[in-house]
Amino acid sequence: MTILTLQTTDGGSWFKPGELIEGRASWHFDGKVEAIEVRLFWYTSGKGTRDVEIVHVLRTDSPNTSGHRDFSIRVPDGPYSFSGKLITLAWAIELVALPEGETERLDLRIGPQPVEVDIR
Amino acid sequence: MRSVAVATRRPADNPFASHRIDGLVFRFNGPGLTALHQRLEELGGRSAIVGPKGSGKTTLLDELTATLPGKPIQVRIGASDRNPWHTVRTQLPTSVIPDHAVFVDSAEQLGTIGWRLLLRATRHARSFVATLHRPGPLPTLIECRTDHALLRKLVEELLPEDWPVLAPGLEELFERHEGNIRSCFRELYDVYAGRATLSSSQGGL
Repeated sequence: MTILTLQTTDGGSWFKPGELIEGRASWHFDGKVEAIEVRLFWYTSGKGTRDVEIVHVLRTDSPNTSGHRDFSIRVPDGPYSFSGKLITLAWAIELVALPEGETERLDLRIGPQPVEVDIR
Repeated sequence: MRSVAVATRRPADNPFASHRIDGLVFRFNGPGLTALHQRLEELGGRSAIVGPKGSGKTTLLDELTATLPGKPIQVRIGASDRNPWHTVRTQLPTSVIPDHAVFVDSAEQLGTIGWRLLLRATRHARSFVATLHRPGPLPTLIECRTDHALLRKLVEELLPEDWPVLAPGLEELFERHEGNIRSCFRELYDVYAGRATLSSSQGGL
């Protein structure tokens, strides 16, 4: 059975632009995997087509079947997490096992305030 | 005409939000993915998924991309692309090799010359699958179709348990959108966002 876990160092999920997101990605696989990646990305969701941008990737090739990796990723200037009338822009960090693509995700809020910007 | 009883606050919380739609899997009305892999092999690894707009072609193409052997190369042609072949050319590697599995979405937008160039560019690929509205330059792998039952099943899957389900209104919605399920979802998004009502002579939500 595959076990993937992601956590930030202090358990927080709100980060300001320029801050460091620090945390640990842990995994256990029954067999070998090609690589694991920790990705910071944002995506939109709402009406219409989804937009996604991966802004940072930390890759570990041929990881041990059990292990962990501490990560430290600086938050870019934007875009902020927000909700409008038609779309929500959300941030997340994910741990992905390749090539199968099994993932674990941690939702984040990026912006100057701990709440999502409401632009409706 | 009745208005929706539940309105969502954030777009991402809408049952018909794009990330939820993208999470749906293709519903086979017959043999499944393994049989499709086999059929593709029988067709020499080059084939087309055929169906009208909103019938699940892209969803199925994504599933084949994730499951077929080879290094996947995904090419998406936009609906308003002025030069589809240029789009294809920029998304394909300089040289397509036998390890590549090439997937081209909305390939019906390529003209005769574009198709000729694409067939030539992908001739060494391990597999090559394109989506088309009608049977065309490649043998048909599968024809995607939609019906009332499929729309109902997908709507029921997307809606949280305690949310009102459209009863007779779904059939009218399906007909109005000419079987385009993606288009039905866009209207349902507005209904559940509280910005629209769904017309139905027999009631609604």
